[in-house]
Amino acid sequence: MSYAEEIRRVSRGEYGDWTAALHERGVLTLLGAVLLVYLLLPFVSFFTWIEGLTLGAFVEPSVLSAIQYSLLTAPVSTALATVFGVPLAYVLARSSFPGKPLVDALVVLPLVMPPVVGGVMLLTAFGRFTALGGLAAGLSLPLTDSYLGIVLAQTFVASPFLIITARSGFAAIDREVEQAARSLGKGPLETFRLVSLPLARGSILAGIVLTFARAMGEFGATMMTAYHPHTMPTQIWVTFISNGVNATAPLVIALFAVGFAVVFALQSVGKRITFSS
Amino acid sequence: MALALEGVRLEYPTFTLGPLSTRFEPGVTVVLGPSGSGKSTLLSLVAGFESPTAGTIYLDGERIDHRPPEDRQVGMVFQTYALFPHLDVRQNLRFGAAPHVDIDRTCELLEIEELLDRDPETLSGGEKQRVALARALVSDPAVLLLDEPLASLDAPIRRRLRLDLRDVLADLDIPVIYVTHDQDEASVVGDRLAIMLDGDVVQEGETGEVFDGPVSSFVADFLGMENILSGEIVGTDGQETLVDVGPTTLVATGLTRSAEVDVAIHPRAISLAEPGVETEGNALPCEVRRVVTQHTDATVLLSCDGIGRLTARVDVRDAADIAPGQSLVATVAPADVHLTEPDR
Repeated sequence: MSYAEEIRRVSRGEYGDWTAALHERGVLTLLGAVLLVYLLLPFVSFFTWIEGLTLGAFVEPSVLSAIQYSLLTAPVSTALATVFGVPLAYVLARSSFPGKPLVDALVVLPLVMPPVVGGVMLLTAFGRFTALGGLAAGLSLPLTDSYLGIVLAQTFVASPFLIITARSGFAAIDREVEQAARSLGKGPLETFRLVSLPLARGSILAGIVLTFARAMGEFGATMMTAYHPHTMPTQIWVTFISNGVNATAPLVIALFAVGFAVVFALQSVGKRITFSS
Repeated sequence: MALALEGVRLEYPTFTLGPLSTRFEPGVTVVLGPSGSGKSTLLSLVAGFESPTAGTIYLDGERIDHRPPEDRQVGMVFQTYALFPHLDVRQNLRFGAAPHVDIDRTCELLEIEELLDRDPETLSGGEKQRVALARALVSDPAVLLLDEPLASLDAPIRRRLRLDLRDVLADLDIPVIYVTHDQDEASVVGDRLAIMLDGDVVQEGETGEVFDGPVSSFVADFLGMENILSGEIVGTDGQETLVDVGPTTLVATGLTRSAEVDVAIHPRAISLAEPGVETEGNALPCEVRRVVTQHTDATVLLSCDGIGRLTARVDVRDAADIAPGQSLVATVAPADVHLTEPDR
């Protein structure tokens, strides 16, 4: 059956019965369903596990403080990754230069490396006893165990998501469309702003969503560079170690809610956002 | 306003363009050549998307090869049209419009007034082509480049649009470089013709002159002269030349420097007549091998005494009575027997 015919059948409501879809794509649907069940299982089991949860647990000072730090740092990390990552993604998509494969590898490295290793390396660059870390601490801006330390860890671990998705978005733009803009009198920056950026906006927004989600959930590198103040993942770990699964419920639910809200908000904005010339 | 290339050369690892030295005066110059001959690369150099390895490009006496594309005043229509998909037609036109240009007038000229609020993805290929041309024209270019502007269209639309294009381009008082690999399009659209092969311009001149006097078998073949025969000059009186093609002697009006020549004859230059009918020009007794009809044309494959295979193209109505095995006389006027330098 062609895709068009399938669309027509969907529009006629012929797939109202999900078993029809199962029948059409039998093996593929079953294989996909196995993973879906595996992904869903921990959520269901967690929410059936927890008991005795009260509203008061959500306003515990440690919970509120962790929510506050996560909500203050993840947007900043995402903004930093976006401001610097989008231009980098464009350059990687459009330019060739000596050593580009190394730059490509560097961009992916934080993804394939355990975050805790990233945290160790960040300590060697920005720790209190390094040149940079010492200088910053001298200016009362410590780069570890601080708000800045959390941002550094989140940006290091999460920015590859933005760079990789934005880069694929830029690479998919027809080069001749950008050349057309140049031949119509627009310089490289104007062409980037008026043509490349709007055409890659879907990929960039997807990258922002992924980066934000990763920054919100960042634990390994953050624990190494900024165990204090606790972000939500760090607080969940501390609470779990001292009080068990049940005690983590308020923060897990809060993390869950914030993640969902932000993802849906960005998706909604993405559909309506326009760029004019 | 003229565009001049002086010793322009561009080297790639597997291909070299030029060195090219040529001028493009106001009017339409069609650059014709096979795929990979360097036509589009030539446009990229003029537009500024590529930088020459050597040589200079002048526009109206001013050097422009070191300028970025946005400072060259070179408008371009791409084969894929390259309309901005996130902008509607009106916004596409306004994107690079010169302040003093009357956009409405251009829309009227290209009959796109009704399309202004449409998104590019909703336009047909022909409509996209018109919008792309309008967008380039309203930027008030000093040079207009068209890279196979009709290549993505279906044949009937292509035939109709090339006539419209000719009218629009003929009114522009700027150099227009029109790249195509379609010789029919080239003969309709251009005042001048430049033939490219392997990165070089191998022949250029007035369109009629080039079609009438291809300098090589390659050019003749590319211009649609499907009949290329090896010959030898056996006599000339300054006006007419006698050339032996096998045991047959043909009369041609052209001259050539060498005795060894290739004889090129366009399939349309061959008239077919019943044996015994009085004809003028070179008369070649032939037998019909095959007749292939295509819409309004018929291609007649002939086997001629002493020459071998010839291809004639006639009106499909004239081919109605022609059948394989039939004996005919193929007639070619001396002016249509083109003598060219052999490629070998």
